[in-house]
Amino acid sequence: MRPLLPLLLLLAQTPPASPPDDGKLPATVEKLFEEKEKDGKPILGDAERAYLKKLPLHTRELIGKDVDALTVGGARHLKALLALELSSQSAAIVFSDNCILCHSDPESQKKIHLFSADPKATQSNELLNLKNFVSDVHFRRGLSCAGCHGGSPEKDVMTPDIAARWPKADVRHMDRTWIPEFCARCHADPSFMRGFNPSLPTDQLSKYKESQHGILLLQEKDSKAAQCVSCHGVHGIRGSKSRQSKVHPQAIPETCGQCHADAKYMAGYKKDDGTPLPTNQLEGFKKSVHGKALLEKGDLGAPACNSCHGNHAAMPPKVNSVSQVCRTCHSQNGTFFDGSKHKQAFEAHRWPECEKCHGKHEIAKPTDALISDAPDGLCGACHAQNAPNNPECNATARYFRSSLDDLVGTSQRLRPEAEELASRGLDAEPVLASLEELSEAIVQTRSRVHTFDRGGFDQGAKVGREAVAKTETLVEGARKEQRYRRTGLLVSIGLMSLLAVAMGLKIRELGRRRSGGNGGRRNR
Amino acid sequence: MTAPAARSVKPARRSVLNWLLGAGVVGWAASVLHPVLRYLRPLGEAGAGSPLRLSTEELSTLGKSHFVIARSGTRKVIVFEAGGELRALDAKCTHEGCTVQFVPGDSLLWCACHNGKFDLDGRVLSGPPPRPLMKWVATREGNEVILTMEKA
Amino acid sequence: MIEAERSEAPASPGERLYRWLDARFGVGRLVEFARHKEVPVGGHSMLWYYLGGTTLFFFTVQLVSGVLLLMYYQPGEATSYESIRYITAKVPFGWLIRSIHCWSAHLMIASLVVHMFSTMILKAYRKPRELTWVTGFALFAIALGFGFSGYLLPWNELSFFATAVGTDSVKSVPLIGQWLLEVMRGGPDVTINTLYRFFALHIVILPLAMVAVLSAHLVFIQVQGMAPGMAHQRPDRPGLKFFPDFLARDLLLWLVCLIVLAILVYLLPYGPGIPGMEWELGKKANPLAPAYPGIKPEWYFLWIYQLLKEFPAHLFGMEGPQAALLVVTVLMGIWALVPFIDRRARKGQPSPAFTDLAIAAIIFMAYLTLKAWDIGGKGLPGKLPDPRATAWVCAWITLGLASGIAVLRILAYRQRWMVFSGAALLQVVLNGVFGMDYLIAGGIALVFVIAGLVVASRKQPSVQVGVPR
Repeated sequence: MRPLLPLLLLLAQTPPASPPDDGKLPATVEKLFEEKEKDGKPILGDAERAYLKKLPLHTRELIGKDVDALTVGGARHLKALLALELSSQSAAIVFSDNCILCHSDPESQKKIHLFSADPKATQSNELLNLKNFVSDVHFRRGLSCAGCHGGSPEKDVMTPDIAARWPKADVRHMDRTWIPEFCARCHADPSFMRGFNPSLPTDQLSKYKESQHGILLLQEKDSKAAQCVSCHGVHGIRGSKSRQSKVHPQAIPETCGQCHADAKYMAGYKKDDGTPLPTNQLEGFKKSVHGKALLEKGDLGAPACNSCHGNHAAMPPKVNSVSQVCRTCHSQNGTFFDGSKHKQAFEAHRWPECEKCHGKHEIAKPTDALISDAPDGLCGACHAQNAPNNPECNATARYFRSSLDDLVGTSQRLRPEAEELASRGLDAEPVLASLEELSEAIVQTRSRVHTFDRGGFDQGAKVGREAVAKTETLVEGARKEQRYRRTGLLVSIGLMSLLAVAMGLKIRELGRRRSGGNGGRRNR
Repeated sequence: MTAPAARSVKPARRSVLNWLLGAGVVGWAASVLHPVLRYLRPLGEAGAGSPLRLSTEELSTLGKSHFVIARSGTRKVIVFEAGGELRALDAKCTHEGCTVQFVPGDSLLWCACHNGKFDLDGRVLSGPPPRPLMKWVATREGNEVILTMEKA
Repeated sequence: MIEAERSEAPASPGERLYRWLDARFGVGRLVEFARHKEVPVGGHSMLWYYLGGTTLFFFTVQLVSGVLLLMYYQPGEATSYESIRYITAKVPFGWLIRSIHCWSAHLMIASLVVHMFSTMILKAYRKPRELTWVTGFALFAIALGFGFSGYLLPWNELSFFATAVGTDSVKSVPLIGQWLLEVMRGGPDVTINTLYRFFALHIVILPLAMVAVLSAHLVFIQVQGMAPGMAHQRPDRPGLKFFPDFLARDLLLWLVCLIVLAILVYLLPYGPGIPGMEWELGKKANPLAPAYPGIKPEWYFLWIYQLLKEFPAHLFGMEGPQAALLVVTVLMGIWALVPFIDRRARKGQPSPAFTDLAIAAIIFMAYLTLKAWDIGGKGLPGKLPDPRATAWVCAWITLGLASGIAVLRILAYRQRWMVFSGAALLQVVLNGVFGMDYLIAGGIALVFVIAGLVVASRKQPSVQVGVPR
């Protein structure tokens, strides 16, 4: 009996049955539906009613309580909130957060403090975009206003600690040095961040301190320098994988360009050697092969600013490390270059390897024209000054160039021929396949230019020449087939025409035979 | 011209004409039958359809270096030995289409163009390639190796 | 009997064979029939009598080349396209056989259409040859079925989308539309199952139907003889012997057709490059890809395709496509039953109204076909052709064509009945030159026809002077 007693007690404690959900709105909310605009039209309509009906009962009751407590100030306020089209979970969060409720009431907030779904339309503070905020990564993880600003979302008044957290308004807009430490309170705390996103790095602040922006802001107290908020935003922060994020790879060039492409803003900043910091990088990047790949083709594998400069530790790569950065993708060209004569020469002169010939921001798609022995060409300009009297270099350049021109020229000549063969009904597929092999060989041969050595180059050129020979054989074979077909046709037409002539004569003979007996009339 | 006279001239002319007619018919028949008979004779190789067969050259390369890149038309497949079995993946890198290479020491496939790396199942390990490599199925049949695309 | 045999010279092997067969099967009767078979002469050009034969010739070419293709073609998701690629690329003379098959299909239908219009205009369908016309119409339908079913078999992009568009219109058939669509396609969408069904249609069902109907058609012609010209124009001339005179000429024409076919196959292996008449293999069908831009069915279906485009979404309580299909059915029905409607021809009297009906049909179909080709529409890649501009240009072309025909008729044949062709031309001009809606223009043309018929029936028989047809 004794063991049964707790069981009986447990069974006796059945929870009260919850009232069935009849979809009715709380009375206070219903009353709001009676409010009308100045022109007599009701403020809230069927759309809002339908949306409210879809919310679960507890959320509707929550809204009812808010209306009762005046945290939802009226029909216009409710309409503004419902216009966000929140999911029921987000709605539950919003309607229990008094900070948001108060600050989104168009009838009681000053424009400078008003959170609205469309700040342009309400002519309010453009940083206070409610639609962005409910997609913000912090908000979605449960860190709402109070998490940064202080105070408590359950209270319906602002508490003194809110003002205590921040420097005064006029100060904090002029002096931005407090921002990195503020964000780092959470983001540099590994045990805290582990509770939210264990794989997110927590070294941003330490990296930032060593970056150019960090040095300017924190050591030289230059508030024009970028800090967390400049790139990530405030109320609409999204992860870098989101296409709407300011730090998505395709958005990064513009985000960096906000300052770095603005000549007025960057006036006064100088490079290490004293020359002014250029502001044409963004423009150059957009024209470059990397910029086109990233921004026009949508190739997310192409580098944005941070791929070469770093994110939080952003600094222009030092001269001797530029090429290391390029090698993260262009490793084969890097390996070839390392084995070449140029490597020693460039190290001795302390030149930034890849950049010297290809540029850094406005990297154009390389063409074979870069390789030439012309005195004013890319090679010539350097060699004239630093390595004159090296006739074998000129000869090598000429050899590279002529080999590539041959391969490319053959490819361009044979492709239309292949297409013409195809349109004549011949089997052009082997030719097209061989042309593709040739194209691949050309790519490899161009890469091998970086060996600056005939032997290394020839390993690629040899494959190319074999592909050329193969293609030409195939084209010749197809042409032979074409001639065979033409001959065959002419022969068979000839034979059939012979028969046709014979038949025609026979018909005439038949007619004549008949007319010999019939009195001379021919039929056709 | 009276009928008998006509007939006496005709035979010679008629036989020339008939000869011409006969020759014409033979010529016509040859023109028609030659292509048809050549068409009907089966070719040595297997008929239509998509399986790829490794050529003898490719088979010997596979035997020596334990991997080979087989081509047929515009398709290219990389066939390699891993874990004792024969595996095959599409050899066209999903970034810009360069041909990948097998790096047995690191058990991965490497694309030289932009340093993309794939594991032996075709999954992207690092670099710009946006999608994994498509799988092929390599089966040994006697001395031959046949490649077919893996059905999705 | 025995004396006669003994007194003759020793029989050649051929003669002995003939006598052996005759004794058992009465072959002699057949030979007698063949010896007396004649082709009527006079009244009109002999050329028209050859067209049925050329159609038969091209059909025979189709049969032979089709059987040869069948040796290598494999229907199937992974093999339809690939086997045709194999045939054209690898098989010796495969390119020739396939190209012949494609060219001869179009030539056969072209020959069939000219044959049909010539018999229409020459009133060959009049009593007692009504059923020859009806079976001929059935052969026309079967030939179109061949063209439609064969088109899908290469399983390339073009044929896939053309079939999707073509079979789509079937669902407008009342009551059984959806069922018919699914039975035709082997499912709600065009898939490889559609190809399997079309393959069965193309190599078994339609050939059997063709053989049956063609046999009937040919038997009727043998029993009744070829249609002579009308009584009022037939001078009393003896006919041309079929064996060997007509046959020799027929065979010569077939040989010429073969030579032309060979030249076309060599110069234009993938067709003349006109949309609706091109058969480059292209890319394999991909059911998930979006539709091919500028997709057009084959040229002989273009007029129906264009007509469907002219109808609005709803008309007189029916859906647009249903109304269009109804119009097409009614027109085809009238066409099939022409021998039974044409009372004057039945009595052997000149029937200019039906000649005019044939001309009207040509104008009607020519205008729609030209419009379907977007001629004059100034379409560029990325820019759709302008239907107004197309209608304008096509209307003027059709006007030119129709004027030429009218001048020929009036001057050479002294025909003056123009009600039907006038109505067709009126619709063309109203739609193309004046921009009126095609269907409203058609309504006005119909009123014109009715008015014309009423007026003509008031004016009694001798309305035509001269020698109309």
